[in-house]
Amino acid sequence: MHIILNKTSMVPIYEQLVDQIKKEIISGELKDDEMLPSVRTLSGELRISSLTVKKAYDKLEEDGFVVTVHGKGTFVAATDQQLAMEARRKSVEEEMAAAIEKAIALGMSKEEILEIATIIMEEYR
Amino acid sequence: MIKVDNLAKKYGDFGLEVSLEIPDGTVTGLIGKNGAGKSTTIKAILGLIKPDNGHITINGKEVSELTNSDKCMIGATMSDSGFSMYLNAEDVIHILKKMYPLFEESFFRNKCSELRIPMDKQFKDFSTGMRAKLRVLIAISHKAEILILDEPTAGLDVEARNEILDLLRQYLVDNEKCSILITSHISTDLEGLCDDIYLISNGKVVVHEDTDVILGNYALLKMDEKSYESLDKEYVLTTKKDSYGVVCLTNERQFYAENYPELVIENGNIDDLILYI
Repeated sequence: MHIILNKTSMVPIYEQLVDQIKKEIISGELKDDEMLPSVRTLSGELRISSLTVKKAYDKLEEDGFVVTVHGKGTFVAATDQQLAMEARRKSVEEEMAAAIEKAIALGMSKEEILEIATIIMEEYR
Repeated sequence: MIKVDNLAKKYGDFGLEVSLEIPDGTVTGLIGKNGAGKSTTIKAILGLIKPDNGHITINGKEVSELTNSDKCMIGATMSDSGFSMYLNAEDVIHILKKMYPLFEESFFRNKCSELRIPMDKQFKDFSTGMRAKLRVLIAISHKAEILILDEPTAGLDVEARNEILDLLRQYLVDNEKCSILITSHISTDLEGLCDDIYLISNGKVVVHEDTDVILGNYALLKMDEKSYESLDKEYVLTTKKDSYGVVCLTNERQFYAENYPELVIENGNIDDLILYI
């Protein structure tokens, strides 16, 4: 598992943690049923407070990415394939939304944006 | 669990009046300027001074009624606590063995060699760093559930500070239930260790907040007088003006980042709390 935190970023540390662990799970880097490090181990290694790690784990559990078994630890939730696929699709959607938002902010038209998408798609044909 | 309930202590014209709570498994930081009342609070919790009023309980028991075996569950360091300067680490092992039934000799010896603490050198010949490391090491060498550490990293270089903080982090990993109350003037030490922070000023608790809320939601807003006049001040905690502009402390960074994109916004930290509140 790789986690790189930017302590001067405007994005709260726990959100950075949630995003990066989600990415690892979605990409398959973290496998189903794999145990995450304990709250105190991770907080010690990353030099952040335990509460921050706990908040991140709670959020991941709320979103269905991990399961905490009391007294045992936190595990990657065994995802059914459809749910995993959906999550992957959603992350693609989010990234495209961000790109489109940027384009609109630059004053690009719908046609221009679609044209870029078409050109990129052609490279993969 | 440490519970300080309306602790009051008067020294001449200085009056301390604080309440705080450190649940099991929590690391709590106590910050404030010199003379704010941090050490007085810690001394009261350790039963070294008698409060004029209020109650302090550790695991539900009044501090004044703690037995010796209750006290073995506490590890403490004070800024100038320690053993006679004519002793060495080898002598201290004998003393600690007698004092604490759960003293772990091999752990102590291993850590001494890891931290380059000589066993046969008298303490009077120790460097500041060696003394500080030894103080913390003694506090964590007997399976204490509660650590009370007053300025454990004061006056140390960055490497020695990190060694001490890593020692504490490792102790937290090995002892899940352990809780810590720690004071420090070096705020980055606390930012990477504490779950929550109490800010004491003039003997009173003025802020109690989770560390990640301070780092995530607090911010300094910097602007000129004109922008300040049109600023919505609902979430401004304090304002400082100087000849070049205005600086406001807020606990709603997001609100200002979204509504006032032209403002200069700096992430908040513990030092800002001490300086601006």
